[in-house]
Amino acid sequence: MAAKKEIIGLLSSIKSQNRRELLEFEAKRVISAWGIKTTRVELAKDANEAVKVAREIKYPVVLKIASPDIIHKSDAHGIKVGLSSEVEVKHAFDEIVANARTYKPDANILGVTVQEYLPPAREVIVGTLRDPSFGPTVMFGLGGIWVEVLKDVSFRLAPLTADDAREMIQEIKGYPVLAGMRGAPPVDFDALVDLLLKVGQLAAEFPEIEEMDLNPVFVFNEGKGAVAVDARIGLRKE
Amino acid sequence: MLRFFRKKPATKPRKRKAAAKKKAAVRKPKAKMPKIKKQKKRKAAPARKPVVKVGTVGTLFEPRAVAVVGASVGKGTGFASPEFFRATVENMQRSFRGRTYAVDLSGRLEGAFKDFKKVRGKAELAVLMLPPEAAVKNMKKLVDAQVKAIVAVPRYDGGAREELSASVRRGVRVLGPNAVMGVLNTRNGLRTNFESGLMPRPGGIAVVSRSNSVGASVLDWACFNGIGVSKFAFVGEGMDVSEPELLDYLSRDNNTRVICVGVGALREGRKFVEAVRKAAEKKPVLVLKGSIAGEQDKIYDAAIRQALAIRVQDVEELLGAADALAKQPPMGGDRVLIISNARGAAVLAADAVYREGLVLAKLSEKAAKVIAQKFPAINVANPIELGAAAGAKHYEHVLKQVLADPDVDGVMVVSALKSRFLEPEDVHAVAEVVKKFKKPVVGVVMGGEDYMLVRDSLQDTTLPAYDLPDKAARALKALRRYGQIREKVGA
Repeated sequence: MAAKKEIIGLLSSIKSQNRRELLEFEAKRVISAWGIKTTRVELAKDANEAVKVAREIKYPVVLKIASPDIIHKSDAHGIKVGLSSEVEVKHAFDEIVANARTYKPDANILGVTVQEYLPPAREVIVGTLRDPSFGPTVMFGLGGIWVEVLKDVSFRLAPLTADDAREMIQEIKGYPVLAGMRGAPPVDFDALVDLLLKVGQLAAEFPEIEEMDLNPVFVFNEGKGAVAVDARIGLRKE
Repeated sequence: MLRFFRKKPATKPRKRKAAAKKKAAVRKPKAKMPKIKKQKKRKAAPARKPVVKVGTVGTLFEPRAVAVVGASVGKGTGFASPEFFRATVENMQRSFRGRTYAVDLSGRLEGAFKDFKKVRGKAELAVLMLPPEAAVKNMKKLVDAQVKAIVAVPRYDGGAREELSASVRRGVRVLGPNAVMGVLNTRNGLRTNFESGLMPRPGGIAVVSRSNSVGASVLDWACFNGIGVSKFAFVGEGMDVSEPELLDYLSRDNNTRVICVGVGALREGRKFVEAVRKAAEKKPVLVLKGSIAGEQDKIYDAAIRQALAIRVQDVEELLGAADALAKQPPMGGDRVLIISNARGAAVLAADAVYREGLVLAKLSEKAAKVIAQKFPAINVANPIELGAAAGAKHYEHVLKQVLADPDVDGVMVVSALKSRFLEPEDVHAVAEVVKKFKKPVVGVVMGGEDYMLVRDSLQDTTLPAYDLPDKAARALKALRRYGQIREKVGA
């Protein structure tokens, strides 16, 4: 209940600013309030603040541009990963802001988010969209070309049962990648199922969420969890 | 306030609620207002009275007597044309085992009534084929004649449509409008359509179709292939009776073992999913989607899956799978065993099995031994090759071992007749064995003419037959899907 209140508060503050796209750190706040694991993230307005936050989060960290006008952060060269010292963080901050100004001179830049850095894992995409006749749906697929080129995704109507979640994971052609091949161990399926269930509940519970995109979600080996590394939420047109 | 209050007692979520509300709002005289506050509970009941149904969905399929209402001469066009009216009257008189009244408002048809006086209180179902203008003039009289349900065959707009809605508000159940071929019930011969010959054999498959053309082609397919049908309904525009109620009715119908649904564009997808799911918990439901989905197709897939229904891609697969589900038990696992008197055909069948995501079973040693003991010439592998000389006794013996083998989940019997010693009658022996086990078996007879011969000889058995291994493999796949669905339901 408390989670619901917190999310309602977050969403209405976005709406009151006449925005329909949540910024990454806002979207992460929403999913994290709902119990979905995500990377720690704080907004820093200048380089010194970034250093302070980085010290709290612990090195190494990731810096990402925070601007409502820049959705594709990597296109704007707005992401720096694996920063492990004050100097690197300061430098990265200035570079990211400069890159963003070149990419979109009139962009409203709120600052840079400092985020926890995660070791590499197998990457999946979990999304939601609202279908005109079926309502909220959950989408699942492997990251990268699996989704973009091969359209290897599965859907279920939200909310899901645990069976639905398990089936939609097994349904994609790339499933063996997650089950473990060429000596790789299986991923943490329980954590992934749990994440899918929560995403489904979130979409079903908040009709104002038009679409949600957790991309990538890092799924670690068995017992090690699943974490949404990037998050996007779009709200419905009123 | 008043309206809010009225809304609540109508508990059933139905389109007619909206109509009732509207009526209540229009009709409610101001004079009644003061009473409300005092007798809230008693007030609610009268509000519902005007929409108490006089008919049920069952009236559409099981009427004691039917009035076919139209004009045998005049300017009616399309589905309200005099020709179609006369043909429907004839069809009904010939095939319906209850009483058929022809009501010809143009008064020319021999033996027909010119008005509703003589059918008053007798005809429970009316097949409405009047041209729109005549429908406007006569709808009220028709309802006054105490019909309980109407199949509205033509498309009605404007005034005629308004009159039809008014009938619904008086409690008459309406199928359509634009329910072109209306309803069909093979058990009592009810067939409210004008086509000649479109009466399938009695059987366990019920069909509900939103699209008239898809429905008609399913019907034609069923007739042509001798597939047994219990009931058929063309929903048309679904002004009153639509899929949820029909599904509910058919799921409780003892003559129906499998329900086929042809859907169009779904505006209320969730409602549809819920209705299908409820029916699918009782018996198999197959869904053929008849509208363009494009990118949305995967969502349809998910919805049908979550509704515990089985999706098929075309009419042939629909009836092929339905026939298997109506006659055979669900399949408990993925392992298929192929028995054949023709090696080439059996190899094609093996590929088809894999294409459908099933696997070839490995026969247990015990079963293999028992087969080899009696018929050493038989190649016991999978496919099991019986040899060109195989007849009924070979099939019987092998099938018994295979069906009793716990390592086998389903069987495909693939046979050729030409250049073999198998006769259509031998296939009966196969059907007899199949009846005794609770494991699914499907038959394939490669070819055209041979297939027709065998198919006809199997018509009264529980063994479904196909002319290609691919179709049989799809049928097995449907039986497997249903097995999984039964597990989910916990049955």
